Amino acid sequence: MPAKKKVVLRCPTCRTLVTATDENFPFCSDKCRVIDLGKWASGAYKISSPILDPDVLEGLGEMQRPRGDDDDDFRN
Amino acid sequence: MPAKELDTTVASAVAEVEASSSTTKNGSYTSDNIKVLEGLEAVRLRPAMYIGSTGEMGLHHLVYEVVDNSVDEALAGYATRIEVTIHDDNSITVTDDGRGIPVDEKTLDNGEKMPAVQVVLTKLHAGGKFDSSTYKVSGGLHGVGVSCVNALSEAFDVEIWRDGHTYEQDYSKGIPISGLRQAGTTKRRGTKVHFLPDKSIFSVTEYNYDTLAQRLRELAFLNKGLEISLADERVIDQKTGEYKKTDFKYAGGIAEFIKHINKGKQVLHEKPIVMEGFRDNVDMEIALQYNDSYSDTVFCFANNINTADGGTHLSGFKTALTRTINAAGQQLGLFKDVKENLSGDDVREGLVAVISVKLPQPQFEGQTKGKLNSDIAGIVQAMVNEKLGMFLEQNPQVAKRVINKAIEAARAREAARKARDLTRRKGALDGGGLPGKLADCSERQPDRCELYLVEGESAGGTAKQGRDRRFQAILPLKGKILNVEKARYDKMLGHEEIRAMITALGAGIGKDDFDPAKLRYGKIILMTDADVDGSHIRTLLLTFFFRHMNELIKRGHVYIAQPPLYRIKKGKFEQYIKDDREFVKVMVKRAAEGMVIGYGNEGKKLEGAALTKFMGQLNEYIGFFDKVNKRLRNEEITGLLTKHELARRSDFEGDAATAPAKLVALHDDLEKIHKKYQFKGLTQPAFDEEHQTWSLHFTDAQGAVRHIDWTLASSPEYRQLMTKYAQIKEHLEPPFVIEYATKGATAAAAEAEEGEGEATVETKSAPKKSARVAQDPVEKQTAQELFEYVIEQGRRDYQVQRYKGLGEMTSTQLWDTTMDPDRRTLLSVKLEDIAETETIFTTLMGEDVESRRKFIEENALDVKNLDI
Repeated sequence: MPAKKKVVLRCPTCRTLVTATDENFPFCSDKCRVIDLGKWASGAYKISSPILDPDVLEGLGEMQRPRGDDDDDFRN
Repeated sequence: MPAKELDTTVASAVAEVEASSSTTKNGSYTSDNIKVLEGLEAVRLRPAMYIGSTGEMGLHHLVYEVVDNSVDEALAGYATRIEVTIHDDNSITVTDDGRGIPVDEKTLDNGEKMPAVQVVLTKLHAGGKFDSSTYKVSGGLHGVGVSCVNALSEAFDVEIWRDGHTYEQDYSKGIPISGLRQAGTTKRRGTKVHFLPDKSIFSVTEYNYDTLAQRLRELAFLNKGLEISLADERVIDQKTGEYKKTDFKYAGGIAEFIKHINKGKQVLHEKPIVMEGFRDNVDMEIALQYNDSYSDTVFCFANNINTADGGTHLSGFKTALTRTINAAGQQLGLFKDVKENLSGDDVREGLVAVISVKLPQPQFEGQTKGKLNSDIAGIVQAMVNEKLGMFLEQNPQVAKRVINKAIEAARAREAARKARDLTRRKGALDGGGLPGKLADCSERQPDRCELYLVEGESAGGTAKQGRDRRFQAILPLKGKILNVEKARYDKMLGHEEIRAMITALGAGIGKDDFDPAKLRYGKIILMTDADVDGSHIRTLLLTFFFRHMNELIKRGHVYIAQPPLYRIKKGKFEQYIKDDREFVKVMVKRAAEGMVIGYGNEGKKLEGAALTKFMGQLNEYIGFFDKVNKRLRNEEITGLLTKHELARRSDFEGDAATAPAKLVALHDDLEKIHKKYQFKGLTQPAFDEEHQTWSLHFTDAQGAVRHIDWTLASSPEYRQLMTKYAQIKEHLEPPFVIEYATKGATAAAAEAEEGEGEATVETKSAPKKSARVAQDPVEKQTAQELFEYVIEQGRRDYQVQRYKGLGEMTSTQLWDTTMDPDRRTLLSVKLEDIAETETIFTTLMGEDVESRRKFIEENALDVKNLDI
């Protein structure tokens, strides 16, 4: 660890800069904290990946096939 | 009596004085004189009642009282310029170019005669502003007027330029020390007041430039075109060599005020929206502009008085703003997924507004005139409805931005409601409020308790059976959800999961509620599968902890369990292995017994400990090799990069005319294999002006352009590849010939090494060495092939089981390998480098798909190994 490096991050909600010593770190404000918490509470943070197991896919029927993109997809 | 105007001005003022204070009509000259003094004597006795305080606020108040008189002259249309000067002795001069205070003799009701100016300066509630025909609109902070300033000043001198003459009079503590004298002739017009606040009254006597500047600027904003200057003779400006001075004059009025407030902020629309109207003798001026912040800043003024507590003008404005924005949103069809109307709070988020009304005889509430009471809410509302509605209709782009901002605000409000829901207490029937899914431990001392957050119901069940229920609690979390519609797995933590977690931890959530001291467990252990799904859930959990229970990570309460990935078995020997790297180590160790690898053409050999070490390094080398190769998609070329050892920046540098030698050599090699891979293109080394380095590009058969440049060479994986390469390059000399020495000596040596297994759990004694049958030598051409062959040799000796998830383990196995404090390994989650951690988290949640996937595959998390 470099000594006394000032830690500056971006607020997860509004992207403004926040330092580690800020009261609401890692958020810039309580408001942004509450908004983020609300997102968690409403299940907005998802990591989505295609189903690759053929058995599971079988069960889903022929109509739905995984889309071409195989990237993990985070939506919020 | 020269001026008729004077009569009306003073007469009503005097009437007011008399009505309030006169008790006798037959008093002598002396007693009447005493009565007048009584008025100002009261001011001196209780100054705070008249000017708010005798501190800094009151001191500055004196200036505002005098300036307000001048502003009234400006409002009436006579003055255009006001000069305020702070002198060296903290006395103040205020000069205007208005009509000048009337000087003609006024007969009071008691028969006493004095110049009008003296009435104004010595009698409370005297002055022109009580007659709405003289000043249609007037402010005056407390209506006590300039006589209070006079009463509270050691020295007070007035100079009046009027009707071609100059008049002067001096006072001390409210008492005239001279009569009004005509001093000379002049072409000027206006009034000059100089006063020195009484030091026996004020606890603070030093004027603050910025405080005065702020109020004077405000006045200049509120009175479009009025010029106000503030000079400070106590301070010399370094640049100009003159007294410090600021001029305030705003042709744009309150629109400029808005811009001043929004300076340095991101605004949603370039120009402030300005609305003006005049109805029922009320002059209304409103300007507003939205910025991207969450707070609102609304200043409202009535007759230049800052009505900090609002009042009818503000409420009329607010009602109209909410109504108009909702109507415009409906019209523009922006509310498709908004359930309710936007609330007043929603439409005011990011609002900066200035409301200024001017009206005759305003009614205020409270001593400080903080709130306007005059019945004007209706006309303000009507004006804003009309003007703002029209503006939004004519500027749909601005309207959309403003309305969308309000919709965002409404969503945030909804989010806040949901967040509150997380901690809302359930009913008393709910058994202590702990989540039903939680299998709690019997120990109550938090620092001895552990909470396992386990992914999945089935693994949760296994953990419940395997745990030591005295101090280990289990909370199963459902993290993976089948998204049938899209044929995807969504990994998320639903409302109930988050809620159950918060409740089980007992430390609350949110700024006011969260209290780490109430944490019910000393260790919070995340136990997820050792696969990609598991790492996703873990990432979600850690992100949540990082953002909302940061303190728990800081205090070292959060851990990650290390369930094994492999179980290998041979006869009675059984071993659990935590990850692929460790697995390779064990396999290599096993395979290397008795193995001799010859390399190159000079009969060089590797065996024993040197061989084991080499294979370990080779494993890492191949790992980095594969990562770098992902960028180039050609193993031979990646191999050439290492062969030419293009590693340092200097390998890419050179003057613009001479390409660096290593890059040229690499280019020559690429020329040779160019055809074999059906490249569509290969450039000569080229100089990049922008980075001042040389680079090479080729277009592969698929048409993708691949870059060999300093950007590639400076990437972490490339650097690591080169470091590893340097360590083992002396051995990377094909062909590789694998053979076995006669067993005996070497096997015994290998046996001695056994047992230093790292971070693995050995449950049984080591297996007996199988007698290896001497085989024919095997030859391999590449390091990769060699490596695979060796691992295969190790694998042959074992039954290898790779766990896909925790659910494949029995409860005993889970206890033995992952939960037993005496044998498990836990990773302690640290935030020593918080910046990096949050960068990783935001990468995961952000838009950059490629770096996100890379992270998931390669990095677990910012965790430090900790053996318990």
